[in-house]
Amino acid sequence: MEKPLFSISLKIIFLGILDALAIWSIITIIFDGYYWVGGILSLGVIIINYIFLSERAYPFRYMVPGLIFLVIMVIYPIFYTIYVSFTNYGTGHILNKEQAIEQFENQVYFPKDSVSYTFQAFKNDSGEIKIILFSPEEEAYLCENKKIIVKVDLSDPRFIDQDKDGIIDQFDNYKKLDKIQIIQSLNELQNLRFKKDEYIIKLANLTEFIVCNKKYQFDPSLDRLLDLENGKIYHDIEGYFISEDGERLTPGFRVKIGFKNFTKLIRSPQISGPFLRVFGWTFLWAFLSVITTFALGLTLAIILNDPYMKLRKIYRTLLIIPYSIPGFISCLIWCGLFNTEVGIINRILNNLFQVIIPWLQHPIWAKVAVVVVNLWLGFPYMMIITLGALQSIPFELGEAAAIDGASRWQQFKSITFPLLLVSLAPLLIGSFAFNFNNFNVIYLVTQGRPAIPGAGTPAGATDILISYTYRLAFEGARGNQWGLASAVSLIIFIIIAVISAIGFHYTRALEEVSKNV
Amino acid sequence: MKKFLTVFLVLMMLIGLISIASASEVGKLLIWCDADRAPVLEEVGKEFTAKYNIPVEVQEVGDPHRRLTTAGPAGEGADLIIGAHDWIGELIENGLLEPISLFTELRSKFVPVSLEAFTYGGKLYGLPYATEAVALFYNKDLVPEPPATFEELITIAKGLTNREKGEYGFLIQMPDPYHSFPLLSATGGYIFGENPDGTANPLDIGLASEGAIRGANLLLRLVQEGIEVPGADYQTVIGLFNEGKLAMMIAGPWTIEGIREAGINYGIAKIPTIDGQVAKPFVGVQGCMVSAFSENKLLTRTFLIDFVATKETMLKLYERANRPPAFLPALEEVSENPDIKGIAISAADGIPMPKIPEMASVWGAWADALELIVNQKLGPEQALKDAVEHMKKAIQGE
Amino acid sequence: MYRKHSPVGAFGRHILIWTVIGFAMFPVIWIFSASINPANTLLGQSLIPKNYTWNHYVEFFTNKQHPFGLWILNSVKVSGVTALFTVILAALGAYAFSRFRFKGRRTGLLSLLLVQMFPQMLAMVAIYLLLLNIGKYISWLGLNQHISLIMVYLGGAMGFNMWLMKGYFDTISYSLEESAMIDGATHFQSFIRIILPLARPILAVIFILQFIGTYSDFILASILLSSKENYTLAVGLRLFITGQYSTRWGAFAAASIIGAFPIMMIFLLLQNQLVSGLTRGGVKE
Repeated sequence: MEKPLFSISLKIIFLGILDALAIWSIITIIFDGYYWVGGILSLGVIIINYIFLSERAYPFRYMVPGLIFLVIMVIYPIFYTIYVSFTNYGTGHILNKEQAIEQFENQVYFPKDSVSYTFQAFKNDSGEIKIILFSPEEEAYLCENKKIIVKVDLSDPRFIDQDKDGIIDQFDNYKKLDKIQIIQSLNELQNLRFKKDEYIIKLANLTEFIVCNKKYQFDPSLDRLLDLENGKIYHDIEGYFISEDGERLTPGFRVKIGFKNFTKLIRSPQISGPFLRVFGWTFLWAFLSVITTFALGLTLAIILNDPYMKLRKIYRTLLIIPYSIPGFISCLIWCGLFNTEVGIINRILNNLFQVIIPWLQHPIWAKVAVVVVNLWLGFPYMMIITLGALQSIPFELGEAAAIDGASRWQQFKSITFPLLLVSLAPLLIGSFAFNFNNFNVIYLVTQGRPAIPGAGTPAGATDILISYTYRLAFEGARGNQWGLASAVSLIIFIIIAVISAIGFHYTRALEEVSKNV
Repeated sequence: MKKFLTVFLVLMMLIGLISIASASEVGKLLIWCDADRAPVLEEVGKEFTAKYNIPVEVQEVGDPHRRLTTAGPAGEGADLIIGAHDWIGELIENGLLEPISLFTELRSKFVPVSLEAFTYGGKLYGLPYATEAVALFYNKDLVPEPPATFEELITIAKGLTNREKGEYGFLIQMPDPYHSFPLLSATGGYIFGENPDGTANPLDIGLASEGAIRGANLLLRLVQEGIEVPGADYQTVIGLFNEGKLAMMIAGPWTIEGIREAGINYGIAKIPTIDGQVAKPFVGVQGCMVSAFSENKLLTRTFLIDFVATKETMLKLYERANRPPAFLPALEEVSENPDIKGIAISAADGIPMPKIPEMASVWGAWADALELIVNQKLGPEQALKDAVEHMKKAIQGE
Repeated sequence: MYRKHSPVGAFGRHILIWTVIGFAMFPVIWIFSASINPANTLLGQSLIPKNYTWNHYVEFFTNKQHPFGLWILNSVKVSGVTALFTVILAALGAYAFSRFRFKGRRTGLLSLLLVQMFPQMLAMVAIYLLLLNIGKYISWLGLNQHISLIMVYLGGAMGFNMWLMKGYFDTISYSLEESAMIDGATHFQSFIRIILPLARPILAVIFILQFIGTYSDFILASILLSSKENYTLAVGLRLFITGQYSTRWGAFAAASIIGAFPIMMIFLLLQNQLVSGLTRGGVKE
């Protein structure tokens, strides 16, 4: 088949750019020692090249540009989450083991007879630095290279004191640095380590070097850390270096801990206790969120799609306002409107019906409040997608029905709505899943409150699964437990996936999909 | 075959075009702080740059400590972060902070309690610049003289409360552990007990102690007398006070600017005593912390000691914050300011906010307990005991 | 399905719409009230503060430390580019899912939907570390770059939008494409010349949804962007407010209101594209 030159050259340029980027990165990445990443990247590039150069993979050419982003920005984080769920990543275990060991090995202690040396720094034209150290006994030492210092005699003519103030200004080609120059060279100076006897000498502050000694030494063959000062031995136990007598060193580090996060989740009475209640509300919440927003969005879309409706452009624009205000501020405002004591909603209710509703204090009213807020936040989205989907419903069908004398409601029920559902059902299921995990609204409006009396189950009345379990993960033990949070994410994902699969089964969506396959 | 050859050629050309980025940040100071501090540090940074020709970049960051947790170990973190002392426990446990050594002469220029707040495991991890604590804020037009005891406060508040007209005598933000802690602490409530070596003992939680329960009963009484109302969240309390509808509240220095702009004739006083005992608020200390992953540790220290720990800078920081400076020369200069006096007097009785990471397990359960008490769903004793039981379980990792 | 309604029916509809507009505007009015309240409280007890002020709006344009105007421009740029590319890439993918039959098509469609359901909490850390590492090799694709932020958004936008688009393409008749292909057009040409013009309403819908979604995102942008001149409005505003104890609600509210205007403009400009049912050519047979 003859192909236009243009599309071939476009393809080649696209592939060329991609491969160039990829090969260059793969080479660098492999040189840096990340073999895994390099391997996966190479595989991806080979797949993409195959797709674009083989006729058999033709349909995939349309998907690749979009899917690349999906894989990198959505799929990869999922795998990262899975990985983290098998580690103890969290407060106290943020660094990896190498970083933790490096921190320990950089620590020093000061021996009893530790002394400090004042110093002068010198630099030559090629930027090399040399130091003269002065001991408390006024002895002078010169560092000849970066490691060793030797005692020198400053009366040697090699050392020049031009202004005769007793301070050496120059020796060999090295010129003395003033305070400003010392500060500018500080990063170089702070890394200097000289050996003297069994000790090391390093920079302590702007005017002094100090004698100290290395505190810890890691022994890779025995996987243990040795305290050089007192001989204590620390073993690696679940992400901490712990001594025989139970002393634990800070910081800990990240290690793989197998299924511990999962077993902890499953065994914990704090989770299993309120699970059914929380799960029930989460389900109800997601369901109500979808139903309410969709019902309102659909009604509006149908009315505003009507060519006979006056002012509909202005109406549509006004109705997307809730969608265009930052959710952060609108949630806080809603909180205030629902305030039991001074909120405007209760003031109106009180004036009209003499009732005061404990909106955010009563479990059921608090649930009503979050659903209302979410309706407000979510109906414009539903209105817009329904407006879009309505355009795909052929007018002729409606007109034919009208001629048959069907009422508007019958038309809607038997023609428009089923057709709409075909294209919208997957999105409604998506919206269900989104609300199932809608942490932000719950957190900003009620923070899961009101609290429910009962020891050991800190799940509030409006807590949904994700807000409750994250609360356990981030308010437990010693702060953030990212590993546990990841395990929670994974379990919640499985729950949603199952619910969605069932949802698909019962909507016509899946049929529609299979019909087209 | 031709196809592949062309692809290869284009590819080789492009490889040549891609340049390698250098991400090394040696020799440049990066500071993360909030919007209030940023202008001051930018100014100080410019002086530093002018003197030493070393660039200083200030970035406004919402949660510097959270960001440092991810960015620090990856080599992208700031050299210096500005924030509250109760961050340090978690940051140190994570291996993210570098101790700061101060000369004795300089140490003596700081309010001792502020240095103590930034001390962890015997080492100093922050250069403090301000202290803060909640105090009793009152509207002088409604309450000419602040009450000295809670009994007095209740009498005054009852006289001024008219909920029909939307007028309130006294409110504490609810359910908020931070603002209501003085009530619990006055009669002997505490968060963590002390080990013999002076460190906090996370398994000795004093929030269900007899004293704490007495304090919580007082809270309940405020509700029963119709003084404290449901839904008194931060925004509501501040909103009412700024409109002159609230006579007294427990609040912190961060509210001062808004109150002034609202034109309220306000005063700041000590929190009234409870049963003759002094109410002890949490004291928070703000300061500068050096990242353990900084490539410029000594440079950062020089910046802190020579440019931040000066009267000039400390006064500039004070002007942005309305909090008593932690640096004595600056504090002396502003100690006659009535706002500072009020906050400082309150803070003088306070206890530093616990900084051990176990504190994360305390806030949520504590707030839940307060909520149950204020909504009268559960008695103070039961609510606090349940909460402490939960905290202990969480701390032990169950 | 629409006919001219009786005056009563029309009146009823307008009443209903106005009720919903009332519901939609109610909190916005309070945000506006906060924006003119000199006391900087988020919730005034009266709708019109005693001594109102426009200073917060003035501050919006004059605040040197917080260049709101620049942030809005950044937001428009990032959201515009993201929305445009979302439309292009999702349309391409949806076309394949709608018009070709290949192995793994159904699984692919379902997984597209499923991956979107994964709780995103940890994705922030993962994406941050990923971009940080990419940035070490290719600086313009690293952190604090609009282009990388756009790529992140594009990744998140593919799933639902491809579905939405595919559902719409499915309703477009094959007959036009078939006749075009008989005339020698390639698949790609018929996609560009026949499908895209017919699918204009859904392209507009996706552009609008993606624009608004990106415009209001705070979490991803705040993690990836670190210098003030690169902030989007949502990030700038949130940092400006630093937590619940902020004293700057007035300016925040004012900025929120001004920030809503670009969205309204985009919507006004595009809403004619939204409704084009009458001009559609083919009907599914």
